[in-house]
Amino acid sequence: MRALAFVVYRYLWGLSRRTHVAVVSAISFVSLSLGAAALVLTLALLEGFQATVRQELKMVGPHALLLPAVGDKLPPGGWLAELAARNPGFSFRKLERGVGWVVALGEAIPVHVEVSEELSGVEVDRVLAARGAIGPGAEVNIVSPAPMLTPLGPAPRQFRVRVERVVPSPARAERGTVRVPRVLGSRLFPQGGQEEVHVTVPPGKDPLVFSEKLTGVPAGVVVRSFRERNRPLLAALALEKALIGLGVSLIVLVASLNLLCNLTMLAVEKRADAAILQAMGLRPQGVRQLFQGLGLAIGVGAGIGGGLGGAVVAEVLHRTQAIPLPRGVFAVSHVPFAVRPEHVAVVLGVTFVASYLASQFPARAAARRSVLEGLRRE
Amino acid sequence: MLVAQDLWKGYGEGERRVEVLRGFSLTVQKGEMVAIVGPSGVGKSTLLYLLGLLDRPDAGEIVIFGKRANLLNEDERAHLRNRKLGFVFQYHLLLADFTLEENVAMPLMLAGERKERALQRAKELLAQVGLAHRGHHYPDELSGGEQQRGAVARALACGPELLLADEPTGNLDAVAARRFFELLQQLHLRDGLTSVIVTHNEVLARGCHRVVHLLPEA
Repeated sequence: MRALAFVVYRYLWGLSRRTHVAVVSAISFVSLSLGAAALVLTLALLEGFQATVRQELKMVGPHALLLPAVGDKLPPGGWLAELAARNPGFSFRKLERGVGWVVALGEAIPVHVEVSEELSGVEVDRVLAARGAIGPGAEVNIVSPAPMLTPLGPAPRQFRVRVERVVPSPARAERGTVRVPRVLGSRLFPQGGQEEVHVTVPPGKDPLVFSEKLTGVPAGVVVRSFRERNRPLLAALALEKALIGLGVSLIVLVASLNLLCNLTMLAVEKRADAAILQAMGLRPQGVRQLFQGLGLAIGVGAGIGGGLGGAVVAEVLHRTQAIPLPRGVFAVSHVPFAVRPEHVAVVLGVTFVASYLASQFPARAAARRSVLEGLRRE
Repeated sequence: MLVAQDLWKGYGEGERRVEVLRGFSLTVQKGEMVAIVGPSGVGKSTLLYLLGLLDRPDAGEIVIFGKRANLLNEDERAHLRNRKLGFVFQYHLLLADFTLEENVAMPLMLAGERKERALQRAKELLAQVGLAHRGHHYPDELSGGEQQRGAVARALACGPELLLADEPTGNLDAVAARRFFELLQQLHLRDGLTSVIVTHNEVLARGCHRVVHLLPEA
């Protein structure tokens, strides 16, 4: 094996003498490196954007919801306090939900209405603020979904309120939300709204994991975890990453086919070398190992070089914010890259396996070739 | 040391089949220097490859170092080639990507020797054939005679008992051919080497213990 490693080393490092084998190996090396680098960069780019989306989800929305199993009212009693005691670090916010309208700029804008005990004034989210040109201190009319019966027929029940502050919207919200205190909520929804509890995981903890660790939820209450609430989006993100990763890995496949072609040519060109080595005592499987070793050396070197190179480029692009994005179109100001070690490991694995497989055919063909043919060709 | 009995070897199939060797027999004693001569295409190289365990006869038997060659598997044949046989080919056949020193060290490295020790031994062998100063040169930087002497040094690297040479002086001028022969004789006298040499060189053949003529239709 030591002798074979030396032969492989010599074949690969003959570039200074411009030997054909070294030049061809260098071409295969560069192809595979570029493939690995492209794959790492693509995965880092996807991860960067997806991490931004996931972060936005984690920052803005509740991490889990507690909903009534049946109907729209949660069970009565002190179960929420007990739940909070059993799950230290988690925070719980009980509220009622309903729909209504906010009249602004002369039109009735359909909105979600949240009724919370903790509020003292009215809040609107950014979506609604933008839609109705509403800012802190503005006065708007909130229209209840329960009309008032008058001698002339049903009439909308309207409440003029002063907006105290504008708050961030839930992630990817299309409809605006207005948050009102309990007193106003009772008047907007005389029958009461849909009750729910917003759960936030302890600070610094991953909602994806911790929202599923909630214990002691009583009967009659169902938990909709972070994963469950965002299942379609998370699945779409995962699918996007898998498919684009698969697509880009075709570059590695093409590069490994290039390696296969080059190794096949080398095996033919070096048939005399293989024959001489066999005359010196190298076994046929040694010839196979020689070309496998050559393919693997190129694959491992190119995988490590390209993979790490791609990771470094991605990290530099991210840290220097080198690629800006138009403001107002994207949620981030620059193209984000996030290199994850497991992605680099997958790329290295794909490159190693591809180069190993690419070396099989030429290596086996070289081992099967007649020694005499090689000696006579010289 | 070497017994070849009733060897048959041909190439091709059907009507295109050509029988190269037809029942050839040969016995080589230890320390003997045997020349095999004959016209081109008569099967001299084929015979050498059979004796060197690089090919298998269609019929007949070779007993080498007391072992029946047809009972040896590829690994055993490779091991014998490495440890007990040395080859010198017609066109030198040095590995182009390696220096002369590395070429000579290669059989030792294939035998499992450490690179440093193999290179040290290669230097000694190159000194023996008068090429101590050319060890770091690549084959394409050497003359034909130097390449051939380098090939001899490589053939001797593992201390073979039997040297098989295929027209070793075929590409050398008279002076280089004479030097090569003197070197071979020296190795026989000093190390007790046995050799089988395929050659067209009458002078070289006459200097051997025995000359075997291989004739067409033999």
